[in-house]
Amino acid sequence: MNALLLKQTEALSKFRLASFYFASIFTLLALFSLFFKGLNLGLDFTGGYLTEFTTQQSITQNKMEGLLTSFLPDTFQLSSAENGTYWSVQQVDNDRSLKGKTWLTEFSEHSGLTIMPQDAIYIGSQVGDELIDQGGLALLTSVIVILFYLSFRFEWRLAAGSVLALFHDVIIVLGIFSWFELSFDLTILASLLAIIGYSLNDSIIVGDKVREIMKRNKEDKIEAIINLAIKSTIVRTLITSGTTLATILAIWFFAGESLSGFAIALFSGILVGTFSSTAISATVPQLLGLTADYYHKKDEEICQLP
Amino acid sequence: MMNSRTTAYARHAKWRHVIIAIILLFMLISALPNLYSDKVIIHLENNSSQNEQIFPQQINHLLANHNLVADEVKSSSAGTTIILKNKTDQHSVENLLKREYGEYFSFSSSMVSDAPRWLKSLNGKPIKLGLDLSGGVLFVLDVDTERALSDRTKGIASEIKALAREKRIRLTKVKQENNYSIVISYPSSQQNAYKDLSTKIKRSYPELTQKKLGENQITLAYSAQEQVKFRQETMKQTLKTIRGRIEELGITEAVTQKQGKNRIRIELPGVHNPEDARRIIGATASLDFYQLAENSHSAGIIKMTDENGRILKMNSKVVFSGDSIKNARSGQDEMGMPLVNLTLDSVGGKKMSAFSKKNIGKPMVTVFSEFYRNANNETVKKSKVINVATIQQHLGSQFSITNMSSPQAAQDLALLLRAGSLTAPVTIVQQRSIEATLGTDNIDNGIKALTVGISITLFFMAFWYRALGVIANVALASNLVSLLGLMSLLPGAVLTLPGIAGLVLTVGMAVDTNVLIFERIKEELKRGRHVLSAIENGYKSAFSTILDANITTMITGIILYSIGYGAVRGFALTLCLGILTSMFTGVFVSKALTNLTIRENKSQLLGVKL
Repeated sequence: MNALLLKQTEALSKFRLASFYFASIFTLLALFSLFFKGLNLGLDFTGGYLTEFTTQQSITQNKMEGLLTSFLPDTFQLSSAENGTYWSVQQVDNDRSLKGKTWLTEFSEHSGLTIMPQDAIYIGSQVGDELIDQGGLALLTSVIVILFYLSFRFEWRLAAGSVLALFHDVIIVLGIFSWFELSFDLTILASLLAIIGYSLNDSIIVGDKVREIMKRNKEDKIEAIINLAIKSTIVRTLITSGTTLATILAIWFFAGESLSGFAIALFSGILVGTFSSTAISATVPQLLGLTADYYHKKDEEICQLP
Repeated sequence: MMNSRTTAYARHAKWRHVIIAIILLFMLISALPNLYSDKVIIHLENNSSQNEQIFPQQINHLLANHNLVADEVKSSSAGTTIILKNKTDQHSVENLLKREYGEYFSFSSSMVSDAPRWLKSLNGKPIKLGLDLSGGVLFVLDVDTERALSDRTKGIASEIKALAREKRIRLTKVKQENNYSIVISYPSSQQNAYKDLSTKIKRSYPELTQKKLGENQITLAYSAQEQVKFRQETMKQTLKTIRGRIEELGITEAVTQKQGKNRIRIELPGVHNPEDARRIIGATASLDFYQLAENSHSAGIIKMTDENGRILKMNSKVVFSGDSIKNARSGQDEMGMPLVNLTLDSVGGKKMSAFSKKNIGKPMVTVFSEFYRNANNETVKKSKVINVATIQQHLGSQFSITNMSSPQAAQDLALLLRAGSLTAPVTIVQQRSIEATLGTDNIDNGIKALTVGISITLFFMAFWYRALGVIANVALASNLVSLLGLMSLLPGAVLTLPGIAGLVLTVGMAVDTNVLIFERIKEELKRGRHVLSAIENGYKSAFSTILDANITTMITGIILYSIGYGAVRGFALTLCLGILTSMFTGVFVSKALTNLTIRENKSQLLGVKL
């Protein structure tokens, strides 16, 4: 290895270690925010107040949404029936969004519409309590199964690296939603699942390269092997993440309010996931003391056979 | 030797290409119905020739007055046909017409796709769209918790009677006083014996409070607090059962919420006729199993007539009810007769085992009950004997109900049993079709954004990888088509706007597959391999990486699908199918295309000079 390359790998190693500590700090910050601020759970999870009314005129949904947005202080969900004459408004149950229970009469005076109140009632959450328990169980099971599969295919230290990177990505995205008090609904939950998929993908591809290089070079230090693996997968990582991020940015800018939470979750998740595939899933095995011996021992065992 | 091997290889490759082409064609045809839209046709038939014909102008005028639009109105003396473009209008238009012309005309409606005839004959269906994209049906169910409490109290009263009989304690009166309390009186001679019974009652029903009324009289009652608890428990259980039923139907994106104290609000996507949905939910049904009474004079007997008019007398105590059923599947016996196989939970299994041991050779009655509201808005229970079967042997937790009238009936019953039984009477109090929760503008913007995103990706791939990039793009397009096709084939899959976004993101996975392969090929080329062997090796060695990455994601997807609910489940389904199609198109389709287009005599590939 010539001097320049050596310098480069040294720089990469330093960068990796530094970003590993960075990632740990960010994870702690995210956990801190999750514990003390909690998530701003959306209507899907909390339930809230449902107000139904009819209008004499038929109005488009966009127009009604505009009218209500300027009137109600917090977010709400609107749905219409019977050609824009029957309306249901769902609001979160907190002090900020409940502008008194009489907001409808005020609204009908201000809006200039002929509004007939129908029903105002408390409405429960879309997801049962059992889902929250089951969801936790599902995550735990899948993490364990993945850990087993990867340990079987790779080595336990590489597997641990991927799973830690996975936790890091999910926690950071949750932390972002908690820190900026963004509404967390079922769609965001679904995008978290997508992030899990992407994060694993990235980690495995780096891990796979590490394994391949370890099988080929016996002498190199583990640090150099990992650096080489990262360098040879960097083009792929950038292209895949880049094109996906471009699609998400398009959703963020053009799709409007309805998909912005989804776009924010995926954007941050994929950005963090790309970062963690270098900073965590490749660095953790090194810190845990991965050596190339593991694969060579296996080879020797096979070679001993006549 | 060498020569015959290459021709054998070529023949092998040709077969593989044919299979790939057939699969792609199949997916394309399955995806095609999504290009066409459904129309609603309402037909008004003239009941007698004396009635006046309705003219199209009249109908258009009537609809315009109520802000409705018809796509086409055809009229003749026999009847009138109205075609609606907007499915959500169907219900309101029908109501309007019935109000106006119901006296003289009979109605029928049907859904027709404007797809060409050959496509319809293949019976392809488009993907169902979610509540946010195309609306659906809203139901509000009323759960009669008061009645459930009363039923429960009644049950306790009869169990106390049975207990006293068993212990040979004579009680003068056990009477349900009102919804939540029972009055027990006993003769003075039984004072001590009663004390014994009282502790037993306390242990079995800790939720009841005992209060001494007089010398020899006691009331057992649910305290106000316990009543609230009972109602809450009942609501929780009902909600869970109804969610279970909807899930059994395979509808993943329905919304089920508790509304107020004792109502349940259900929004079902992709269904536009409330009557249809009502039939599918079957939400108001419950099931009980009774023993046929031997002695028609003993206390606590229910009389019921079966479909042949035979009067059955049954012990009022239920052997077990639907909530003990763990699983139910429809099937056939050796003679090909439809039946339902049941598996009970441990509690039900024990009850069944004890009961059947004592009653071999005696009949057991299955009763199906449904609640509805009558004209006075009261809840009325309608019970029907669906089956009288003889217990042929000592049964455990697994047995079957035979004598089903048809395979369809067996299937329906199995579905209801699987999803659990309702303990409280449930009736539908409101039903209405709802419009898409996202306005048309939002939907258009969303679709536009996704198109922009996909275009960026396609342009980049073509620019970066040139010829191979174009191949990758064809593979990406076929990935989207295959995914759409697969989702159309699944009856339960529902597409929402986030779902579509997830679909577009599977393009990301497909891009990844191709990029991995191309980077491998580049590496092989740099090592000085020839074009064809570099391609062959690139695909081969990238495959294990792709497999590892996709299998782990698949594991997550499958676990989430099996445990999750609603939107989570829908997303997991899209994710899993997306992995399958992206592997298929990314590896097999693009390999076939590469083999067909790239020749050995290239001067450069992927920027590597040869």
